[in-house]
Amino acid sequence: MKFNRSQSHGTDASRLTLRLWDFTGTAMLNLFMFLFLVAYLSPLPFMLIAALTPRDQFLDANAPILPSERVKFSYEGKNLIVYEVPTEDGIKHWALYKSSRKSSLFIDPNNPQAGPILWQGVWRSLKAVYQLKPTLDNFKDFLSVAKMPLYFKNTIIVALISEVGVLFSSIAVAYGFSRFRIPGIKYIFFLLIATIMIPSNITLVPTYYLYSGHMLNWIGTWLPLIVPHFFGSAILIFLLRQNFKSIPRDLDEAAMLDGAGPLRILISVILPQSIPVVTTVALLHFFYIWNETRLSSLYLGIAPNLQMVSFAVQRNQSYFFTPEALMVGALMVMIIPVIVLFLSQRFFMRDMIVTQIEK
Amino acid sequence: MDVVNESRLLLKGKPAKLTRLHRETLIGLLFLSPWIIGFILLKALPILAALVLSLTDFKMLTPEATKFIGLENYIRFFGDSEAGASLFRSLKYFLLTVPLEMVVALALAAIFTSERLTNKRVSQTLIFMTSIIPATSIFFIFLGSLQYANRLITTPLNLPPFQGNGLLLPFMALWSIGPGFLIIYSAMASVPTEMYEAARVDGAGPLARFIYITLPMISPAIFFTLVINLTGAFGGAVLLDRGYILNFSLSPIESYINNTMFIQADLGYASALAWMTFGVMMALTIFLFRSSKRWVYFPHEDEENEI
Repeated sequence: MKFNRSQSHGTDASRLTLRLWDFTGTAMLNLFMFLFLVAYLSPLPFMLIAALTPRDQFLDANAPILPSERVKFSYEGKNLIVYEVPTEDGIKHWALYKSSRKSSLFIDPNNPQAGPILWQGVWRSLKAVYQLKPTLDNFKDFLSVAKMPLYFKNTIIVALISEVGVLFSSIAVAYGFSRFRIPGIKYIFFLLIATIMIPSNITLVPTYYLYSGHMLNWIGTWLPLIVPHFFGSAILIFLLRQNFKSIPRDLDEAAMLDGAGPLRILISVILPQSIPVVTTVALLHFFYIWNETRLSSLYLGIAPNLQMVSFAVQRNQSYFFTPEALMVGALMVMIIPVIVLFLSQRFFMRDMIVTQIEK
Repeated sequence: MDVVNESRLLLKGKPAKLTRLHRETLIGLLFLSPWIIGFILLKALPILAALVLSLTDFKMLTPEATKFIGLENYIRFFGDSEAGASLFRSLKYFLLTVPLEMVVALALAAIFTSERLTNKRVSQTLIFMTSIIPATSIFFIFLGSLQYANRLITTPLNLPPFQGNGLLLPFMALWSIGPGFLIIYSAMASVPTEMYEAARVDGAGPLARFIYITLPMISPAIFFTLVINLTGAFGGAVLLDRGYILNFSLSPIESYINNTMFIQADLGYASALAWMTFGVMMALTIFLFRSSKRWVYFPHEDEENEI
């Protein structure tokens, strides 16, 4: 790039223009990305604001956007609400002392000794004065009702057990698909792809019947959420297999000559080269378990003490929570996946091989 | 090893190559066995059962009165205008949101390949972050921010206020571009730079390079993202599962099936509906695969069964 430019634009002046142009382009592009991100992520700050806003602020249409509380003035042992009162000398911040329909008595907080001032007008049309004050009450309300530690514990247990199962089986199966000459493996792989596409609705009723009291009697336990993962997950197998295939075979052939068996090759040749994809797959499964709601609603509805975080918060919304408390819930449900994503971003979904360009 | 094999060959009188192949097949099948067992128990048998179920009038409350009614459930589907409308709305959802997702993901990926962009890693993670937010949270975030949007934008400007459910779908689609964006971006980043250099020497501008080099080279990634979005829109597996909003299904046909299943407890008809949906989805997928020969660039045609 630079080579071309210095050839075609020889003079210093034009070089300077080019530099300026270059700089403007870079600045514009970065500004555009910044503005895009601000717009794209704008609902998140609103969630935080709502979570910190006192409940009664939502009832007042004239209240400010940021979490605030009404300014109060204590007079004769009572807490009076301060309003913006229009007077002949401009708008005054006065505390409402005695209200009646057409005229009201106010106290001037700066000069309480002067006593009540009579103001002609409808006090209900006045705006209350607010001062910025975020509150943690919504968090307290939410935590006093929701058994968050229990839900977190349940989620972690289910995630860990099923993670072990899904990783062991999916890695083994992907290895089987990527390295062995099996007659008809093309068709078996096609079946695997087909199972990715089959809507869960089709198998819902028969599998429910399988887990129900008619056969296995697993309803109200974690088993329907854990056991299927020990048979591998089609989409994860697909991702792993694509990656394993891209590892050159020379390495495992060399290991084979040294007398390594298939399991040894998997552990000491394939896996060390697949750390990003294994991390990705493990995280994809973790996010899946964390967000799980569909199976929970079928199998854990009758077992409140076994419920996991995402389902429990959603299910209990209509019974216990006000909208502001739910913002707290939304924040708590999403915070752990977001932290996990930021911690793992060096590995997560890097080197996703779904194309053949690299080969 | 070879000595052992040969001695075995002498004992059994079979060609050595075949035994080795047999051994390899057996070990391979052993590795595949978890999935094969799971496939038979949790996929194939339930699918067969669902097929049989769709030919009966099985109801949860009166299982003993179940009769075989042949194709009646499927015939009923063609007379059920509500089911047709839900299916049509699901299709419309796919046709509206998927192009939106794809275009935004493509545009972002194209910007990301520019060397001028700084802080790529942070921006990338921030863009991806929205795709992992659980459905539970997203629903409340959406409703809450709608309230603020109305207070800040529509009310001061005297515009009609933003209404809930219609906007939730495009909102969720835009907040799910993460995986598609990453897949397309990594495909774009791996296009060999010599190609661009050669095109530049031939006088191709940035737009021409994008249309004639980038797009064909990343077409497999676009195709993969399209297929994944299609299966996701019709209730298949998705890469990044964010769970369900219990009272509000994103796919109208799915919520119609769930309603038939759990509220009316008409399981036979619900199974038939699920099969019809699957049929429509398969038809679309086959169409996509057929059309892929025209627009997806596969450099190694000989490589077996790649997607």
